[in-house]
Amino acid sequence: MINRLKQELESTFREISVAVPGENGITVVASPVQILTILRFLKDRGYDHLAMISCVDWIKEDSLELVYLVSAYLTGDNEYTGREKITVTLKTRIPRKEPEFPTAIPVFENAEPYEREIHELFGIHFTGHPRLIPLFLEREYEIPPFRKDFDTREYVKEVFDKIPFVENKE
Amino acid sequence: MRELELYFGPQHMGMVGNFSITLKVEGDRVVEAVSNPGYLHRGFEKLMEYRTWIQNFPIVCRMNVVEPDSMEMIYAMGVEKLAKLEVPERAHYIRSIYLELARVGSHLFGLWAYSNMLGFDTVAQWAMYHRDLILDLFEELTGGRVYHIYIWPGGVRRDFPKGFKDKIVTTLHSIGGCVPDYNNTFFENRMFYKRTEGIGKISQKEAMELGAVGQVLRATGMKHDIRKTEPYAAYDKVPWDVPTRENGDACSRVLVIRDEMIESVHMIFKLLDNMPEGPVYNRVPNPLKWTIPKGDAWVRIESSRGELGLYLVSDGGDKPYRAHFRTPSYPHGLIILEKLLENASIADVGNIMISLYVVAPEIDR
Amino acid sequence: MDRNQIKKWLKSPGKMAHKYSLWAIYFCTGCGIIEIPPVITSRWDAERFGVLPAPSPRQANLFLITGYVSVKTLKAIIKTYEQMPEPKYTVGFGSCPINGGMYWDSYNTIKHLDKYIPVDGWIAGCMPRPEAIFIAVTHLWTLIDKGMAKGYVKYREQYGRYRENQEMALGRLEWPPLFPLKDEND
Repeated sequence: MINRLKQELESTFREISVAVPGENGITVVASPVQILTILRFLKDRGYDHLAMISCVDWIKEDSLELVYLVSAYLTGDNEYTGREKITVTLKTRIPRKEPEFPTAIPVFENAEPYEREIHELFGIHFTGHPRLIPLFLEREYEIPPFRKDFDTREYVKEVFDKIPFVENKE
Repeated sequence: MRELELYFGPQHMGMVGNFSITLKVEGDRVVEAVSNPGYLHRGFEKLMEYRTWIQNFPIVCRMNVVEPDSMEMIYAMGVEKLAKLEVPERAHYIRSIYLELARVGSHLFGLWAYSNMLGFDTVAQWAMYHRDLILDLFEELTGGRVYHIYIWPGGVRRDFPKGFKDKIVTTLHSIGGCVPDYNNTFFENRMFYKRTEGIGKISQKEAMELGAVGQVLRATGMKHDIRKTEPYAAYDKVPWDVPTRENGDACSRVLVIRDEMIESVHMIFKLLDNMPEGPVYNRVPNPLKWTIPKGDAWVRIESSRGELGLYLVSDGGDKPYRAHFRTPSYPHGLIILEKLLENASIADVGNIMISLYVVAPEIDR
Repeated sequence: MDRNQIKKWLKSPGKMAHKYSLWAIYFCTGCGIIEIPPVITSRWDAERFGVLPAPSPRQANLFLITGYVSVKTLKAIIKTYEQMPEPKYTVGFGSCPINGGMYWDSYNTIKHLDKYIPVDGWIAGCMPRPEAIFIAVTHLWTLIDKGMAKGYVKYREQYGRYRENQEMALGRLEWPPLFPLKDEND
């Protein structure tokens, strides 16, 4: 089943690289403009569960990498087709300076909170997202907190350790 | 009628965990609900990048306070997949028994929360007492009641002490002997059905679109369970079944939980009978300075609330480069809760929220 | 029976009755929520110590801060604390309110809860056992007997300094000051 999917992907899209590292996963690396089409292609083939959207900061290569993890639910009559074991890992790279990316909500409706979280923690702006407001954080940070050039120990020393105890004040 | 904005805030008698919902109500009916997470955000994944692979074990189990064992398991599985470590056979069986005990304990905690909210205080007291008996077992095995740090990359930390098998069997018999009492008081009570039937109903198609996993999906009729579709540890070595219900409302979800508890108890007995002898861990190569080769891994297990996943990236060093957890309460607490609360009455908000079995620290990490 | 009790009851019955019925507010602030249900249910019964969960801050006089405190939770804690009637006592539960605990280098947690609200006692551990909560309650009784549990008095007298610390951590606060602030240096 995995090899058939690999052949279909390679024949439909140009300039992508497909690898099968283990027995249950398939990794696809593509360019940013092809991502939404590949997601729709996978959803039509029955891979209808978006498990997660993740982001990795490769500071040395000056790019942010977006990772989409897509797997399959069972079919309506609870039959095991062999597709449930497979997870497709879809990766792409975007530049680190003022990053922008189209949203995946038209294809998978549950992508909304993942994109909100990536926006506030990494700074990627998703165009077309209906509600891109902060999810967890209360304060404004100059550098988004999960990027590699934000040092959390320095931040703690500057902001929290400078507040004095009440007994030590005059 | 005018619209009013209410805070079903963190300090509330019906709220378990530090989570808040902003409700827009018109009279007695909710028009719009917005979840407000973030009270428990610690930036876990950033903290993990500053600690070595082994130093991360005590911190990773504090992500889900009700069932910390599934977090240890998924992190150990991720590290083993990246470092290509093998786990001996007896360790697989011990891990399965340990995870099933944790599942029963976590479901009893959820039963406490739900029956307390509905008003059945007696069942809440019984459930907490039985969970305490299981925590006594954990204390004998690992030394701590709540946070254990027992699963290690390459196996488990130590073997079962002498006489432990009999203690597990006695405890589970004493809990299992109370199931008729639970049935009479709670699960087959006319009041339980009147309070929970039809509340928070979700159809299978809608659940699939919104990314539901776990009990929320199994209560709509789909037998989706990672222990069956992608077996790990010793789950493919004993025969067992995935319980489902048809209706998709709060009543079905709670009945699925009861069936899962009974199934877990039977599974533990079968695993105890078939357990082989042997070593329980393989040594980590060079534990004081352990570097893992470059690569990335995606692993998933079935925790008591649904599909738990981890995406782990290593760049060849001795600390993780990026660890991102996909917790089951994330879609349930953020999108499905907002969808289900539309057109509900204010008196049912707690009912719907706790029947989705959301654990707040899992959302914020 | 302890003969000293009779003398204490006759001398100040109000203080004894107040001490033996501390109602704890039901607010699950952090990790420690996992040890509160065992404490208030039938196995480790907290009601024999007089401690019951109270639904509203106006009806409570004990605040158990269970676990770490994040920036968003600190706002809720201060608002709840200011709504409780006096005399009120705070107990920090776990190692995280003491000095940050395991999350000492996190950008979103408050280390040293002492700087923002007055704390009367600490319980160390991660997680402490349920018996540790009962030992803490009995220590609190001793402090109340001797008149040493004066956290709320300190809050009233040095409110300006507490509010300054709160504003340094949280930015501008939306609620007005609880006690009138003096204009010169506090």
